[in-house]
Amino acid sequence: MSILRTDNLTHKYSVGTPFEVTALDSVSLDIEEGELVAVIGHTGSGKSTLIQHFNGLLKPSEGKVYVDGKDIWESKQSLREARFKVGLCFQYPEYQLFEETVYKDIAFGPRNMGLSDDEIDARVRRAAEFTGVTDEMLEKSPFDLSGGEKRRVAIAGVMAMEPKILILDEPTSGLDPKGRDTILELIRDYRERTGSTVMIVSHSMEDVADIATKVLVVNSSKIMSYDTVPNTYKRAAELLEVGLDVPSVTKIFMELHDRGLPVRTDIYTVEQGIEEINKLRLEGVNL
Amino acid sequence: MMHDITIGQFFPGNSIIHRMDPRMKLILTFIYIIVIFVCKNFWSLGVMVLALIIMVLLSKVPVKVILKSIKPIAIIITFTAILNIFYVSDGDPLFDWRFIHITTGGIYTAIFMIIRIIALVVASSLLTYTTSPTLITDGIERLLSPLKFMKNSVHTIAMMMTIALRFIPTLVDEFEKITNAQKARGADLETGTLVERAKALVPVLVPLFITSFRRAYELAFAMECRCYHGAEGRTRMKIMKYSKLDAFALLFICVVTGGVVALNILFVHII
Repeated sequence: MSILRTDNLTHKYSVGTPFEVTALDSVSLDIEEGELVAVIGHTGSGKSTLIQHFNGLLKPSEGKVYVDGKDIWESKQSLREARFKVGLCFQYPEYQLFEETVYKDIAFGPRNMGLSDDEIDARVRRAAEFTGVTDEMLEKSPFDLSGGEKRRVAIAGVMAMEPKILILDEPTSGLDPKGRDTILELIRDYRERTGSTVMIVSHSMEDVADIATKVLVVNSSKIMSYDTVPNTYKRAAELLEVGLDVPSVTKIFMELHDRGLPVRTDIYTVEQGIEEINKLRLEGVNL
Repeated sequence: MMHDITIGQFFPGNSIIHRMDPRMKLILTFIYIIVIFVCKNFWSLGVMVLALIIMVLLSKVPVKVILKSIKPIAIIITFTAILNIFYVSDGDPLFDWRFIHITTGGIYTAIFMIIRIIALVVASSLLTYTTSPTLITDGIERLLSPLKFMKNSVHTIAMMMTIALRFIPTLVDEFEKITNAQKARGADLETGTLVERAKALVPVLVPLFITSFRRAYELAFAMECRCYHGAEGRTRMKIMKYSKLDAFALLFICVVTGGVVALNILFVHII
């Protein structure tokens, strides 16, 4: 069953002024439970607008959003439910920390859900474990942490709500390669252990290619494609055309293909590349 | 809710009014505000309203947007009108019951006041609609620059105003982002008692303050890196020049003022 569905979702900003823009143009999509979806699109493509509809922060100008089969704008109750079912972690989430201690900050979401103290405590500790936040860190002020630590605390704050769908907007932006890998790894672990649906917004496909199960490409207010990773990379030429980057290894194989070698062009990891080259060797192709 | 703020919002365009020298626009707005208080009857006020309508049409700012600038002062307008209706006791009595006396004079004054306040607000918002905040502060700085003995402080104040204005949209943006982030964590900012709602703002205001301090620090650094050291020896990229357009505008306001004075003398005063 699809956990998240949009039906002709359209969103316009600044309606009735000369600044009116259509940020989303009748988007219909269906996301299955348990997927790890990479949402790709360049700046201004509408991807941030799209994800803010999933938990009802933005109200569609036209169309419907269904979470777990329920229209989220049906009533106040359904909207509130959607807020908790869909956990949204914004870009640079470390700038939202405000509490005296890390523990209290992570507990902010669960507390708003009206859970019991025991349940809150259990959730905070679980989320802290997922994100590698130590007990010692929990007692510190969030402002005394390093950038990467703050980021993990902020993500823990959303994870502690234990949403059915976790959406992260550019969770790795501004981090060094090591910090980036840590974040991506903890997201993957989180999904494997909880079985929840995860969406990662990114402008760099290389980052998310090896952990995603599906790729949603947003381009100029529309869905360009929603498909598995290999199928998406089969359309690498189209992606490059609309200004999206593809992994370097994909570019190399596209180039090889253009020069007449019988290679696949839907390769997106180095491992696959090595495999393909070895296969060609075995087949006796002159490289 | 933050999208409703229109006072002080620049409305880009290339109309005659947009192209005028910001200094002249400031002077004219100032004169207009004074003259509107000189008006003594509906005839002279009518001339001012007509002049304002002409300017609004020339500016090509949509009337809808102009009307939006009146919305925030609706309460003040209503309050003034009610006060005038009850307290002015000139003219013929219309309604008399115990302590409530309503006269024609009261009604006239109330209408007069409403028109005056609206004209006042529309005129000043027309200035901000057609002039970018930077140009306004630049204009103020240059208008005040003859005050040589306080030249440095004029520059400093203008710079402070420019920075403050520059960061209003940034802060509004930031406020919205943080609000959204906390809402996504289930924060309820819209319901509850006044105290509850004030408390609910803490998760938004704390990060907002911290971000502001960070920004101020970064901006100060960036300014120092570009060798900013106040007004001394500072030159400008854009030199403001009065054009024929500005001369014409000045002439226009002079004619309007003359008309107002003449009509004041010719007709009976209302206030």
